[in-house]
This record gives sequence, structure tokens and C-alpha cells, in this order.
Amino acid sequence: MSELVAREKEVTLLDLLDRILTKGVYVLGDITLSVADVDLVYIGLKILLSSTDKVEEMRKLAAQHPVSEARRER
Amino acid sequence: MSDENGTLYLYAITDQAQVPLCVGPGLHGISPYGLVHRDIAAVVSPLPQAKVLPTEANAWLHESVVEALMAERTVLPARFGTILAGEALVQAALMAHYDNLVANLRCLRGRVELGLRVLWDDDEPSESSRQPTNSSGRAYLLARFEEQRLDRAWRERAGALAAELHNTLAQKAADSTYQVLLTPRLLLTAAYLVERDQLTTFKAAVHSLREDHPILRFLFTGPWPAYSFARIALRIAQG
Repeated sequence: MSELVAREKEVTLLDLLDRILTKGVYVLGDITLSVADVDLVYIGLKILLSSTDKVEEMRKLAAQHPVSEARRER
Repeated sequence: MSDENGTLYLYAITDQAQVPLCVGPGLHGISPYGLVHRDIAAVVSPLPQAKVLPTEANAWLHESVVEALMAERTVLPARFGTILAGEALVQAALMAHYDNLVANLRCLRGRVELGLRVLWDDDEPSESSRQPTNSSGRAYLLARFEEQRLDRAWRERAGALAAELHNTLAQKAADSTYQVLLTPRLLLTAAYLVERDQLTTFKAAVHSLREDHPILRFLFTGPWPAYSFARIALRIAQG
């Protein structure tokens, strides 16, 4: 982000994910094919947030659980 | 530009459709382009497969394209992972939703989104001091009632404090959303739609709240594209 107010990277990543996975223009109907994976990541994020007591822990958790690893194993 | 029946990834819908696109590479390193309908455009890039991996890198790629668009256009950002089967479907969606898209774009013009989370320490209803050990039915019920009373009081405390913080900021915003206690620790989760030229004033207001409430933790981020205020679901005709 170009003009970041709070540039703590992991906190910002959580904020980004919270926006881009649950907000914004979306498509109704069965054309969105990647929804299953995205939902799973978001569930992961919610668990992350609800188990967070301190910002420091939030950072630590975000580092331990990169988004790329939260995908469903097939 | 691409196979017109191929799968397309949608980044955003914008105004200023005739302005040349000036964005970096999108997903898979493929350059996004605009599909124009009248004065609005859907910014898309072809996808080799109808699937986007939700990696951190892809999330930032999506965001960087949307932010680059914001430099010259008003933007309705799309949700990550929005995929459409071909240019004809995108064009049909722009046409079908044109009035709503234009109205939503008008609300966002010149404005950005700011995010705020407020954490507090008062994250549990106080424990009832006398836990019944040899619980008779009556003692058990009384304890449960007390628990519920404390829980209600705690939620009321949270609601009042969150509303106080939120209202102060909402007055300085064109639009806003807020949620209380998404988790016990997360007192307030809010988004504010703010005029670009009011950013300094808004930041000062957050700073001032922070000073008034030294025991709360404020996580303030932005400016973001207005994801929380892009309130459109595109209905795609099946066929």
C-alpha cells in the first residue's frame, strides 16, 4: 500500500484478506469456480482472529500460517 | 487481446473507461485490460485455468492492480477470486447492472476506505465470584442467572464504548460500517469512506481518540480501495 497509516505487514495482510475475501463486487451464480478454496482460507483467518489475544500473537500466528499453506489438501 | 471465450479474472469495475490503462502485471504475470460498456469498464485478465490459488502473493497482486487503477479512476473493487467465463458474460453483466454500477461509482468518487480495529482488555464477562460447589438445583440456577446478567452487562459496556468511538469517526466520513465484538477481544471492527482531501483530518481524529483511550489498542489501516462500500452482486445469466 502506497500511503499506509499502520504498516505492520501481518496486521495489514489480515486487513487486506478481510476485505478482498469478503467484500467488493462479486458474482452470483455458479461461475465463480475458486470459491471453495477462498472460503477455506477465510475460515482459517477467522480462527486466527478469534484466537488472537494480542497484536504480537496476531503477528506470530500470521507468520506461522502463511495463506499459501491454508489451502485444502487434495 | 485474448480468446474471447476464455476464462477471465475480474479486478474491478471503473469509470473513465476511455482513459488508457496504466497498471502492472496481474495474476500469472498477464496484463489486465478493460472491457468497456459506455463510460464504465470491467478490468480483467485472462486466466490459463479457472482457478486462483489464494496465496499471499496473489492477494497482493489483486490489490496492486486495483490500487493502480485508483490513481486515475473511481474503482469498484471486485472480491478476490471473481472469475467469469468469457468476455460476453462480462459485457452482459456491465449492461444489466449499468445503473447500479454507475450509482455506486458516484458514491465512491474522490473517496477512499480506512479500516479500524479496536482491541480491549475487558474481554470476558467477570467471573461470578461464588461458584456453587455442591450445586443444588437452586444454586445452579442462580449461578446461571448471574452469569447471564454479567454477560449482558459486558455486552452493553462493549456496545456503548464501540458506539462512542465509532460515532465520533462516522461524523467525519461519507459512509461507514461497524461491528462490535467479532471476537471477545475485538471491541470494534469498522470501515470508513473518507474524502481523499479529508484524510489528514480523519487521521487526526483517530489519533485524538487514541489519546483519550490509552488502554485500548487501535489498528488503523488504509487508504484502501472501497471494498466495504462496493455493494454490488453481479447476476450472471446462465446459458
